[in-house]
Amino acid sequence: MKEFKPLPDQPAPNDTVGPIHWVKDNFFSSAMNTIATLLILALLATVVPPLVDWLLISANWSGTTQDACTKDGACWVFVIAWSKQFFYGSYPTEELWRINLCVLMLIGVIASSQLLNKDWRNKFSIPAFLLLPFVCILILDGSWIGLEYVSTDYWGGFALNVLLAAASIIVAFPLSFVWALGRRSEMPFIKSVSILLIEFFRGVPVLALFFMGSVMLPLFFPEGTNVDKLVRVWIVLTLFMAGYMAEVFRGGFQAVPTGQYEAADSLGLSYWQKTLLIILPQVIKVSMPNILATFVMLFKNTTFLLIIGIFEVLSTTQTALTNSNWLGGHSTEGYLFVAIVFWICCYSMSRISASIERKLDTSHKN
Amino acid sequence: MSVEQEKTNENNDDIIVIKDLNKWYGEFHVLKDINLRVKKGEKIVICGPSGSGKSTMTRCINRLEEFQRGSLTVNGVEMIEDVKNIEAIRREVGMVFQHFNLFPHLTILENLTLGPIWVQKKPKKEAEATAMKYLERVKIPDQANKFPGQLSGGQQQRVAIARSLCMNPEIMLFDEPTSALDPEMIKEVLDVMIELANEGMTMLCVTHEMGFAKKVADRVIFMDAGEIVEQNTPEEIFNNPQTDRLQLFLSQILDH
Ligand SMILES: Nc1ncnc2c1ncn2[C@@H]1O[C@H](COP(=O)(O)OP(=O)(O)OP(=O)(O)O)[C@@H](O)[C@H]1O
Ligand SMILES: [Mg+2]
Repeated sequence: MKEFKPLPDQPAPNDTVGPIHWVKDNFFSSAMNTIATLLILALLATVVPPLVDWLLISANWSGTTQDACTKDGACWVFVIAWSKQFFYGSYPTEELWRINLCVLMLIGVIASSQLLNKDWRNKFSIPAFLLLPFVCILILDGSWIGLEYVSTDYWGGFALNVLLAAASIIVAFPLSFVWALGRRSEMPFIKSVSILLIEFFRGVPVLALFFMGSVMLPLFFPEGTNVDKLVRVWIVLTLFMAGYMAEVFRGGFQAVPTGQYEAADSLGLSYWQKTLLIILPQVIKVSMPNILATFVMLFKNTTFLLIIGIFEVLSTTQTALTNSNWLGGHSTEGYLFVAIVFWICCYSMSRISASIERKLDTSHKN
Repeated sequence: MSVEQEKTNENNDDIIVIKDLNKWYGEFHVLKDINLRVKKGEKIVICGPSGSGKSTMTRCINRLEEFQRGSLTVNGVEMIEDVKNIEAIRREVGMVFQHFNLFPHLTILENLTLGPIWVQKKPKKEAEATAMKYLERVKIPDQANKFPGQLSGGQQQRVAIARSLCMNPEIMLFDEPTSALDPEMIKEVLDVMIELANEGMTMLCVTHEMGFAKKVADRVIFMDAGEIVEQNTPEEIFNNPQTDRLQLFLSQILDH
């Protein structure tokens, strides 16, 4: 009998690999492609140098008043002078360490989710993440844990945007999962209530919800109770977020094959064991990109709160712009700064979520 | 009355008793007057053309499907709406599926210990020891910490069998366990099943592997159009079919 010998591997032909080929392939592969590349290069050449000049080279960096802005570039002095307000609102200066502590804890929890192994991630990072907003509220408020009380009237700035978004998503997460389960339920009452809630909070514009929250929500609380404005906003954001996330989860449920339910049933798992141990992790895995997109949307929507007089970062910026000492027209710098801060946060979140997706991906070989 | 007390003493060695079972999907009558008794330790192979109701009947036994008329008793527990009865039956019945249905987000070891830990409330260490024992038996202990997606089809199916065995079931149901596998992997799965049969497990197996049927089955059941058309020993079924329907079926599967 003849012996079967596999052929040896050979290197790929030279003209299909390497950097020069890559450039050729991606930028100059056809006449159209070449024209597009040249046009874009020309556009960049006209736009980038003046932009860099305004942003960095002839920008004003030092000083404390707008009179320091003598060069014709951006007046970053404005942003620097107001940065404490932008980030912390009017939180008392000697108590700022509390906000910094909260930020450090947030960074710590995120880092732990990246560094720990699966077992410890489940045991530490996830519970810590769920508890963090509540711990932060206790620290920021202070009166519950023996620190000096700081009324929510002083909470503000970018820290407030982050806190509201985080506190909302964490409550919205389990709530929306229950709504999504309800929507799949075979019991007509539970099903219709779930659909009603989901469609209402998804269908009404978030601005309308905010107004309803500040005007109508107090009617639902017992007479005489004065519910904090931020708590009302928190409730509205949570419900709004839950409506969207419930639909995200619904898509996730559809991606889990029926075989998974059957295998769980045949092992004798109860309904909740099956749902939480088998279905939920798989739903989260496929929904991760959409959960993040929804969260980014919610996070950016917190800037709408300026309309109902919450001192989040955008309304702080407007206050700064109308301050009589800073009437020199710094709105470009102000809004650009807010945009950059939001962009950095949203971009980091998408990096973190991509890394979580990679960790959850168990289909890869080895 | 507790589930245990409901167990009757009659037919002590009939572990599955199905009487006049009928099932409809809407208007469509899938199972018609199914009667079947299975003794403890008996190995039954179910065959028949596609759509004849083999899967549906098998899945009624652990309540993956409901039925509308008739009765079904497993290990003395009657299958009724009560969650307690359903759970009692599912604890006794293991099932292996055509597409393995391993949990993709859990490692092989976690797949095996999930049931013992959460359903039987065993300590983690003990569950892991049992799991490793069964992984040795299906000959892949070295894969314990991998994920299902990293295993071949044949290995996944052997894990699925081990997962069921970890629950220490009285009865094992197999629904075409080898028909999603490449020819090279079918044998490794069948070998595990043959070993299991030799150890005295009660088995109901939907399969078209006639070699397997001849080797291990005590009884072969031939179904068509929702009915049990014939049941007999493998020799009788293959060599001496009583109905033209079975004869036609045999000529078709032996042809290709
Ligand atoms: N969920 C369902 N709704 C309606 N009809 C169904 C459903 N599931 C199965 N059927 C029908 O019931 C009949 C029996 O199906 P079953 O899956 O039990 O057949 P089978 O003998 O296992 O076939 P196969 O060899 O293809 O697996 C088929 O005609 C099928 O179309
Ligand atoms: Mg089938």
